[in-house]
Order: sequence, then structure tokens, then C-alpha cells
Amino acid sequence: MLNRIVPFTALSLALLTSGAGANELNPDVSLTLDGHYKQNDTVLSHREQGFGLGHTELSLSSPIDDLFSGRLTTVFEEHDGESEILIEEAYLQTNGLPLGLNVRAGRFLSQVGYLNGRHMHEDDFVERPAAYRALLGSHYYDTGLRLNALLPTPFYWQIGAEAFSGDQLSEGTEDIGVYTLNTRVGGDLSAAQSWQAGLSYLHNRQISVDEEDHGHDHDLDDEHGHDHSHGASYTGENLYIADVVWKWSPNGNTREQQFTLSAEYLYADDLNKFATSDDYHEGWYVSGVHQFAPQWSAGIRYGEVDLREAHGDHFHSQRLKETDVMLAWSRSHFSTLRLQYTHQSATGFSNADNTVALQYVVSLGAHGAHGY
Amino acid sequence: MRYLPLFIAAVLTGLISLPARADFHVFACEPEWTALARTFMPDAHFTTATSYLQDPHYIEARPSLIAAMSRADIAVCTGASLEAGWLPALLQRAGNTDIQPGQPGLFFAADHAQLFAPHDHVDRSMGDVHPEGNPHVHLSPDQLPNIAKALAERLGAMRPDNSADIFARYIKWRVNWNFHSANWQERAKALQGRSLVIQHTGFGYLLRWLGIDATMDLEPKPGLPPSASHLNQLLADPRLEDAAAILIASHQNQKPAQWLSAQTRKPILVLPGTVTDDSKTDTLAELISEIINRLESAMPEVANGSL
Repeated sequence: MLNRIVPFTALSLALLTSGAGANELNPDVSLTLDGHYKQNDTVLSHREQGFGLGHTELSLSSPIDDLFSGRLTTVFEEHDGESEILIEEAYLQTNGLPLGLNVRAGRFLSQVGYLNGRHMHEDDFVERPAAYRALLGSHYYDTGLRLNALLPTPFYWQIGAEAFSGDQLSEGTEDIGVYTLNTRVGGDLSAAQSWQAGLSYLHNRQISVDEEDHGHDHDLDDEHGHDHSHGASYTGENLYIADVVWKWSPNGNTREQQFTLSAEYLYADDLNKFATSDDYHEGWYVSGVHQFAPQWSAGIRYGEVDLREAHGDHFHSQRLKETDVMLAWSRSHFSTLRLQYTHQSATGFSNADNTVALQYVVSLGAHGAHGY
Repeated sequence: MRYLPLFIAAVLTGLISLPARADFHVFACEPEWTALARTFMPDAHFTTATSYLQDPHYIEARPSLIAAMSRADIAVCTGASLEAGWLPALLQRAGNTDIQPGQPGLFFAADHAQLFAPHDHVDRSMGDVHPEGNPHVHLSPDQLPNIAKALAERLGAMRPDNSADIFARYIKWRVNWNFHSANWQERAKALQGRSLVIQHTGFGYLLRWLGIDATMDLEPKPGLPPSASHLNQLLADPRLEDAAAILIASHQNQKPAQWLSAQTRKPILVLPGTVTDDSKTDTLAELISEIINRLESAMPEVANGSL
């Protein structure tokens, strides 16, 4: 009815504006493509030799109403010719509650450590440090609930707790298989320098309880084929992580130049009911990345991990030392090409090797703001 | 009239929070908004997320900013996606109930301005183009009064006890701005029709207002750093001969401009893209006056300027 009396130009204008309006009601869609060529197979790696696809993510996010926001991230992976679709994130989260509280519920990345809560496409190296790959399956996500509080201090101080089903880390029958505690402080040293430090604790309740039934969980060879992208290969009842990050840019102008130094230490004990006080996993890494021009960055990372592989009632020692050197070029904020050389030296692993890897990571569509 | 519901909501939240907090914290995404808000509320506490030496597109949601945002009563930002790379993360992590999209505690200057060159269609091959239009609106002599008025109204609504003072300071600011504006308009006559090479559209609104042609850009696409091939292309541009100077902002790398300057013998003008701590450029009016001073000295021949 109305259309008949509206002149054509005005109608098309109205359609245009209503189209834009409807578009704003749609969730933000963001797609991450990640592919690589890797010369040789390496230890504890989640990337196959030769050409391969990495973390292909499709993400939808949007405010739900004034109180909640939601996000869904699905990951497409391929292992030995089999395609898998994993739900990495499916959560709702509050947009601000009194007392600096913040609640997240559903499936999400645990906030333990510095790297774990970040999306893989933000990483500076082709793979996460060996300690992360062994103890957290590169990135630990699960279904549960998070409560964070930002304390009303003049500097940044956050405390948080999470409860998870725990099934993404190791199999078990507990309803709440994993809980974590985390605290983080940080601030600026000057206009050019900022820092953050954190302490995390992850309690895995499914380690001691179900040992009889699921002792084979830790037997890497059995599960390797199917399970290697999700659960952690090495677990303990208690996991402690300390992390520290320091960033520097001349005048704080991160566009032109930025140096990021980060380090983490991971320690896990009470590996199973046979474990003595000498049986623990331990790992650390130090990473330095220099974005020396708006489009270029170079980095070096060294890490070690000492592991105890369960064999029935006893353990075998495994040790991996890894050095990575990388050079990355980003045409824009949305595309990165990376060349990396990895040197591994190991005891207790048969397939340690050195490798060159070439990787691209690009993002299409909406590009969420990155954290620190 | 259309601010009435907002005003009422703001008064109510203001009344509730009034006894709890004695003072008023302003979080400004860019220093120009600190300068403007300070004019209206000189006694407030200010945290400024960026400086004139930083590219405001590329700031990180770092811990100190999260802490400051969580304490703030109002966040004053440019909007129009200028801060899209970091402000959403900051808002989410700070979790400040008062400072969320749609709340009076989040003020976007671009919401109160008519932006230049909005796009119906934007894709990433065009570079970092903002669909809303050029967000660098703080140097627009015509748009600032609207933004300032809206900001003064917002601050007054959030602090009703001080609203009379805020309004009086706004009127004073406005008179001063009009006075300056008339002066700039007079001086624009000599600059009109001249041209400059620029890097990004940070000074776009002011240059257009002054009638200066600024279509030659060191950036191949908005937001992409100058590349050798693009600079060579620029060097072959016939319009380059008429350009009086190469204008870049303090936070930008000077090398591309220096290269072009060495090829063409054109002077480089490095100007702060926003207010600084220097008393000569610590308010927007002073900054614009200073920019015009510098432009005048870079374009000395007055007579043949206008078309």
C-alpha cells in the first residue's frame, strides 16, 4: 500500500537503509583460514607433514541483549583423511555486572596461563610451545562456567575461577572434572612499556578416580591416531602455571614497532595412583617477538618439557627441547604469511626432527578485537 | 527533546552512583576528547588511552586500560570503527556496567557528526575503510561544536549538580571556537586551492574545510603502509608538481615522506594529529591554529593561490 505512493528513488533508499539495519542484527561472521607446508614430522605436533590445514575456524558472535553476548566457534580439522567438526566455543557471557563481576557459561577456552585463553590464529609461531602441546593439548577448552572479578585496585588485578566437565582434557565420570583458579595483575611501566603476570591452578579430578578403567588414556600410542587434537596427552591431578608478558613499543605506538617478551612455566604432579613425588611433568618456554615494521615481525622461542609417560605401574622419562625461529609478513591486519624453522632434540621420543614450515593465517569477515 | 529519556536515565543512574563516588572519572580513547571534556569538567580525573605519538587504530587492550575503564564513569571515544581493534575487548574485559554500547556512559563523537565519505559497500580489498565514513572528525571546525554540545549535555546529565557549570563552560568554549573559526576562515583564503601530499586521512576534515586538495596519499590503500611501488606511482602523478608539501602526522614513520621529499625537493610537514602536552597545542582550537600556522609557512606564495 505504502509502496505505491513512495517514489521509486525513495523506495530504493528505504530498502537500502532497512537492509543495513537488518545486517546489523545478524551476528558477526568471522572465518579463519590456516594452512601450512611442513617439511618433516615433529614430536608432539598437531600439524602433519607436507601440505595440511591447521585451525580452520568459523565464528559467529553478537550481543544477545544488553546483558549478554554470545559466541560460537566451530573448528574444521582433518586427521588421516577424516574430517571433524569441533565446537571450540559456544558460550554466553555477561556484558558487565556490578562489583566488576563477569560470568561466562557454555563451552570456552580456559583462561589458565597466558596463551591458553587466546585464539590460535593470534599466535606468533606455527605451533604452541611443547609444554602446551603436551599438557594442555595446545589449547584446553571445555564446557563449564567461569566467574571472574576485576578488583577495584588502581592497577589491573583480576581473579577468576572456572568449573568444567573435564571431558575435553581426560576421560572420566565426574560431573565437574576440572576446576581452575587464576589471578592476573598488570600495568604500564611507562608510555612505552606494559606488562602482565599471572598464576593459574588447574585441578583435574578425573585423574585418580578412574585410573583403573582409563589407564590407557595416557598411553600415547593407543590414542594417538584419533585423539591428538583435543585432550592433553599428559595430565596430572594438579597443574600449576606461572606466566609473564612484557611489551615495548617506542612511545607506545604499536603500529610501527613492538617487542613482546613472554614466558611461562608449567608444572603437573599426582600423575596417577602409581606416581611418587618424583613423578611430575614440567615445562617452560621463553619467546621474543619483534614486530620491526608495520608488516614484518621476527621471533625466536626456546622451550623444554620433561614428561613422565605412564606404562602401567611405572613411568618412562621423556624430554624435549625445542627452538623455533620465525619470520612473518602481514600484508594487512587480516593476512599473515609465516616461515619458521624448528629444531627439536629429544630423549624418549623416537620422531624428534628439525623442520621448516611455511604457514598462512588469514581472517575473513568480522575481525574481533584482540586481547593483550 | 530527543535526549530526554537519556537524560532521565542518566539522572537516575547518576543519583544512584552519586553518594558512592565523590569524583568523576573520564576515560578518553584519544587525547582530543580529554582536552574537550576537561574544558567542561576541569576537576574530573582523566585517563587517556592514546597519545599524539600513537596510531589510534592500533592500540592494545592492555591491563592498565582495563583497570582505568572499569573505574570510569564515562568513556569518550571517536567511534565509527576507529577503535574497533581494541575498544570492544576493553569494554568486555573491564565489564563496567555503565560503559557499554547503548549506555549513556559510552559517548561516541562520530555519532554527533556527519562523517565524510560513508560507504554503502566496503570490503577488505579497499584497505581499512570505515563504512561509517572518515572517523578523524576531531579536526573539523564545523563538526566540533555539535560534538562539544552533545558531550556537554551528556556530562551535565550524568552530573546534574554540575550541569549549570558545565553548560556555562560550554557556552564559553563555543564563543571562543566561533572566534577562532572566523579567524581560520579568514586565513583559509590564502590556502584555498593549494594541494598537499598526505599519509592517511587524519587531517582530512580540516584540509577540506580550508579548501586544500589532499587527494595524493602516501598510503596505497587506507591503513596500509606506503609501499615502494605506490611511491613510484605517486612520483609519476602529474598533480605532484603542484603539491606544496608532504604532510604527515607525528606518529607516522617519516621514511616514505623523506624518500618522496628527496625525489621532489618538497618540504615535509610533521604535525601532531591531535592535541599534545605542549602548551601551544594542548587544546583543539590551539592545535588547529598551529596547524594553519605551519601550513601558511609551508605555502608562502599567497597571491596565486585561489582558483
